[in-house]
Amino acid sequence: MNIRKIVTVVEELLEEGGRPVSPSARVAVVAAVIENPWAGQGFVEDLAPGIDANASDLGALLAPAVLDALGDKAEAYGKAAIVGLDGEIEHGSALIHTLKFGDHFRNAANATTLLPAVEKRGPAGVVFDIPLKHITDATIRSHHQTVEVRIADAPHPGEIVIALAAAAQGRPQQRLAALSTEQ
Amino acid sequence: MQEAIRESAVQAVGLRKLVLYREAVVSEAGSRPLVPAQQASVAAVIRNPWRGTDPSTDLSAVSRRIAPVLARLMTERLLEALGGVDAVEAFGKGAIVGTAGEIEHGGALIHTPYFGNLMREFLDGESIICFADARAGAGEPLVVPLWHKSAAATRSHYQTVTARVPDGPRPDEIVVVAAASTGPRPHARIGDRLTDPHVTSNNVEVVLS
Repeated sequence: MNIRKIVTVVEELLEEGGRPVSPSARVAVVAAVIENPWAGQGFVEDLAPGIDANASDLGALLAPAVLDALGDKAEAYGKAAIVGLDGEIEHGSALIHTLKFGDHFRNAANATTLLPAVEKRGPAGVVFDIPLKHITDATIRSHHQTVEVRIADAPHPGEIVIALAAAAQGRPQQRLAALSTEQ
Repeated sequence: MQEAIRESAVQAVGLRKLVLYREAVVSEAGSRPLVPAQQASVAAVIRNPWRGTDPSTDLSAVSRRIAPVLARLMTERLLEALGGVDAVEAFGKGAIVGTAGEIEHGGALIHTPYFGNLMREFLDGESIICFADARAGAGEPLVVPLWHKSAAATRSHYQTVTARVPDGPRPDEIVVVAAASTGPRPHARIGDRLTDPHVTSNNVEVVLS
């Protein structure tokens, strides 16, 4: 796996709706900008060898890093694959939609749910939103949230940005009725 | 970024949000740099303390009250992200003023000694701190220049980092940015003032006339 750089973003919100948020709400993202493993190979029918060669290593790299950046226990999480213009969205999906990738994060965060994801193709500097949901119950409404990311010079056409996101809490000032109240 | 932010500081500067951005170079153009540097920026989104005032307003008192709090808070975050004051080799700063404010408001927060001198002191530098500023809407990227913290003309350390807050600044907010790097550009190789030939229009072979 050829990594060009590792990007870390930590957002800390101290006020929302004109009221203090205390303790402050924290969301962290760690992204690896990597060479697309299938770059320059034309249409590759069998993606499994490339998945086996990269997905687990990416999960092992990013999961502890995003929890470290968060500096707290994760309550919500999500993932992203942003494919450079010369690649297929299938390439990004291949790397993140496998237990080989996600289990690293689930194990590190004591999580059980599937990771919500964004898969997208775009130029360097494309803005992407990573959806996050609760780590053990994806129906918990208070924890549905997104974090927005932009890396000015990535992905290059032959690259993929692979990212994990973690939030230490639900939305600031969350006050929606639970799903169960409507069922 | 573990420590709690002092409530008083938050209220004193009208802080809504802090965004840390860090890039660690692993490889560049296919090979690992001799000195793989990390860059970081910290963006603080605050209420414009001069919102609703006109250009006759004296900015100095409020600047003296707010800028030192920002300098302390933001450099603490930078040092935490980059591994301490000895690791920091280059620095820069910036401001994005929301559309209801004046560029002068951003300047009042970053260009006076109450920010610049303190940032320089906390990062153990000597150089003037280079900067970028803009008036813009929320989500506008700001390319913040950095140069060497104690020898500004060190060409290897001329670099930039892009700071951006997705939902800031609102029209009545200001985003203040402090940025730093632990080393030079990857594969820096364009010489230096000390090694440059003396170039004038008389001794360059091709000069457009």
